[in-house]
Amino acid sequence: MKPDLGRLLEGVAARIIAQAEELTALDSAIGDADHGLNMKRGFEAVLADKANILAKPLPEALKAIGMTLVMKVGGASGPLYGTLFLTLGKELPEDPTLADLARALTAAVEAIKARGKADFDNKTMLDVLGPVARHLGDGTATFASVRALAHQRAEATVPMKAIKGRASFLGERSIGHMDPGARSSELMITTLCDELEACA
Amino acid sequence: MKDKVGIVIVSHSIDVARGTADMVRQMVGDTVPLAYCGGNPEGGLGTDVAKILKAIDEAWSDKGVAILVDLGGAETNSEMAVELLDAGRQGKVVICNAPIVEGAVMAATEASGGGSLEDVRRTAEELSPQ
Amino acid sequence: MTDWTSSSVVIRHKVGLHARPSVKLTQLAKTFAATVQIAGTPEGPWIDAKSIVKVMAMKAKQDSTLYLRASGGDAAAAVTALAGLVERDFDEDRAHAASG
Repeated sequence: MKPDLGRLLEGVAARIIAQAEELTALDSAIGDADHGLNMKRGFEAVLADKANILAKPLPEALKAIGMTLVMKVGGASGPLYGTLFLTLGKELPEDPTLADLARALTAAVEAIKARGKADFDNKTMLDVLGPVARHLGDGTATFASVRALAHQRAEATVPMKAIKGRASFLGERSIGHMDPGARSSELMITTLCDELEACA
Repeated sequence: MKDKVGIVIVSHSIDVARGTADMVRQMVGDTVPLAYCGGNPEGGLGTDVAKILKAIDEAWSDKGVAILVDLGGAETNSEMAVELLDAGRQGKVVICNAPIVEGAVMAATEASGGGSLEDVRRTAEELSPQ
Repeated sequence: MTDWTSSSVVIRHKVGLHARPSVKLTQLAKTFAATVQIAGTPEGPWIDAKSIVKVMAMKAKQDSTLYLRASGGDAAAAVTALAGLVERDFDEDRAHAASG
């Protein structure tokens, strides 16, 4: 099986752009109401550069996506999602296996921790990406189980208290809302699962 | 003036960044390379890695560049920008853990006297709560 | 035993040794190789006149006396120059002084 990178890219970008309002609504509850708009701007810029990105081998394409997100998303999400894709690009071979993916995502989670000075259970994207990285490496992952885990971990950020980012200024009042970064990570992962399953 | 450490001011607001730079210029003078940036790529409140890279370039000095930031995203984006510099420049840029306005004035004063990058950072960070 | 060259001068500046005057004093002190210190009383505590953070934290007021001392090769010139800067009211005209 050789997944079509163009299709994956378009699928993820379309999903993030379509859910921009939902992400912004989540962010207006506990942040500064710009996550959806920022991510939309970033992925629109990725789509605009699609021909150039797809001409590259996978690692270089991922790095190019990362750089575009860094430059265009702004806010804290730009460098955090930028770091995700830049690290995946650094760690993945041209034709990765599931084991490669698990290892690369684990490395990316560590890089995001360092970039955001955050840890698990701080009510961030890490609460989705960390468990998914571990699950990919545990030998039991299916498309359905990864999707379910991403969804469940995003939901699990609702009762958490924010420790990092602007949401942390709200303290206890951040409890009861899903973290927008956890939700955007869930969206990317579920869309990737959908697209990969469709090509399989 | 490239024999002095450069100062870069990164705020979420271009007005805060410009105002801070004005204070540095008026109080410390124009012997120190100084650049500022603020606002997201669309011109709203926020910070932007591309603008930070440009500001670092404008204030570049062989003695190095000290960056002063305001809130969290400014620090995250500045760290990202530093990582994107050439390997040769990376080791010559520091992000100061200091209040932006006071830190910029203190850092620029130290820089204007010919202090090293480490002197400049230490002076700015003397203001931070321990 | 450190050999000090000393002097004292009354601060006339309307807001005392605040932000901008402190910057000027520090910048001038840094141009000398000598160790330069200032204090609010002849007994000290003496602080490093080249440290902008310490000079500003001193918060010397208008009409208070600033004690200066220096040691090293150009100590005499340093003390004369710093006392001169304070006497000249930090080379500021009145229009700017209020915002210092």
